[in-house]
Amino acid sequence: MRILASIVVIAIVAVGIGVWIIRGPGPLDFAGGTKVALGDYSAGKPAGVPAKLEKASLVERGEYLAKAADCMVCHTKPGEKDYAGGLAFKLPFGTLYSTNITPDKDTGIGNYSDQDFLNAVQRGKRHDGARLYPAMPYTSYTYMNDEDVLAVKAYLFSLPAVRAKAPDNTLSFPFNQRWAMIFWSAVFNPDTRFAPDTSKSPEWNRGAYLAEALAHCGECHTPRNLGFALDNRKKFAGAITAGWHAFNISSDKATGLGNWSDEDLISYLSVGHAPGHGSASGPMGEAVDHSFSQFAPEDIRSIVAYLRSVPPQSSPDLPATTAPVAPSSHKDGVTADARGKKVFASACASCHGWSGESPVSPMATLTGTWAVNDPAATNVAQIVISGTIRHTPDGALSMPAFGNAYSDDEIAAVANYVTARFGTKGSKLTAKDVAELREQTAE
Amino acid sequence: MATTLTINGETKSFDAPPDMPLLWVLRDILGMTGTKFGCGIAQCGACTVHVDGRAVRSCVLPIGTVANRAITTIEHVGSTPSGAKVQKAWLEAEVIQCGYCQSGQIMSAAALLAATPNPDDADIDAAMAGNICRCGTYVRIREAIKLAASGRQS
Ligand code: FES
Ligand code: FES
Repeated sequence: MRILASIVVIAIVAVGIGVWIIRGPGPLDFAGGTKVALGDYSAGKPAGVPAKLEKASLVERGEYLAKAADCMVCHTKPGEKDYAGGLAFKLPFGTLYSTNITPDKDTGIGNYSDQDFLNAVQRGKRHDGARLYPAMPYTSYTYMNDEDVLAVKAYLFSLPAVRAKAPDNTLSFPFNQRWAMIFWSAVFNPDTRFAPDTSKSPEWNRGAYLAEALAHCGECHTPRNLGFALDNRKKFAGAITAGWHAFNISSDKATGLGNWSDEDLISYLSVGHAPGHGSASGPMGEAVDHSFSQFAPEDIRSIVAYLRSVPPQSSPDLPATTAPVAPSSHKDGVTADARGKKVFASACASCHGWSGESPVSPMATLTGTWAVNDPAATNVAQIVISGTIRHTPDGALSMPAFGNAYSDDEIAAVANYVTARFGTKGSKLTAKDVAELREQTAE
Repeated sequence: MATTLTINGETKSFDAPPDMPLLWVLRDILGMTGTKFGCGIAQCGACTVHVDGRAVRSCVLPIGTVANRAITTIEHVGSTPSGAKVQKAWLEAEVIQCGYCQSGQIMSAAALLAATPNPDDADIDAAMAGNICRCGTYVRIREAIKLAASGRQS
């Protein structure tokens, strides 16, 4: 009996230690200062809306916050009604569809009480008690205060109700067992609200609230641990998310943002482009178009102040510097991949130029981007496959999707050519790699 | 939205959203139908025009990005030195079959010769690979480009 009891105790302790090790620190633990409850913090106003909206209606404030939390991109299927859900997330173990968050009573969230909505956003618990999958970033939204969450609800409830039922998820066993998420949540969802750090400036605290609770940067830019939750030991070190490389945004000088000027960061976040660093595309392009570009300038500056404070993490998979402009003649520079060069000449050169500096628009310049300097070529292949569309102050700019026009072989060849010509080290993609990337992309 | 562009040395003003592709403006608004629509996704080259002397695909080029830049189309390329040479060589080598791709071919060839007066085969490949000809006039295109470069046309 004694032995059995000690085995049980040892097992519990072992599981506890294991969980503690896997879980690691919280997203803001690196800051290290004294935390106080939001209500007890008087130096600034980390939560809520920027000053110019202070007096605005609840719905308008909710609209700002919903955009800051970027709800729409995931809850809208391209070509369908905003917030009506149905966007597919292709995961290794099946497909997950986002839900309708318009106020439709049958297929949307029309029956949600305030408490139901808080439970969903901060705790990952659905109105009927079922658990949400963490594709919904409630482990980030949990840091939002109740007032802000309910403002978002008021905004969503002000929208027209759309009747649209998302397709059923196609997850395989054991991932289709929603109840199991109770344990996941218990371990990985801190279920706690943002607590300002008194050792930091009010601007930093606002930036921390925006970046962690609303914009949920870490959901793409922080690598995941064994439990598929964020591993904040490597906070913002970069990760592959939905088939795209979300690059290092820690303060590392070589491979993170350490060498970006404030103007570069402000420009990248607010218009999705910074001279010499390229343009946001793919999921980050969407985040800029629908979320960051709508931020008040002082909120962008707060995020920049916050990003600067995140400890450096180096990305060993990236080169220490990005490559300079390539020669302007197709004859100079690399010629290794004849097939890739042929594809580049026919499909790419007229917009991107042989030097990598676009004759058409600075948005299309390849020189200096991490995408072409990443020896894995993930984003190069991805953008060739799916194209991109960006909405800028000068109107929309797009690159066509070449996924149906070229074979996996040709896409691998052109990605290898592009990374060799415009980056520091050419990639070695194969047709199989491209086929796998196609699988991972959301629609 | 009122927009002004400089096309073939003339200022043209019209109403169009900044994200409308230049090709739409040329053909549908300004009635300049010499530039052709083939694929609409930068895959065939039929819509090639010059922006500041470089060959670009007008079907994917939003007009918001080309304000204040010199746009040249097939209607006017004959008055540039390289364009004139190319058109002459084209006639002499009788390049054209159905003709659909040819305004794009001529625009690409003219931009090539302006930048590289004596192109070799690799230069021609690099500049012309994006211009597709379903009639298969590639051999004569290459011949005509070399003829234009040599200045030996009658
Ligand atoms: S129509 Fe522009 S490249 Fe085909
Ligand atoms: S001449 Fe007919 S398509 Fe080129």
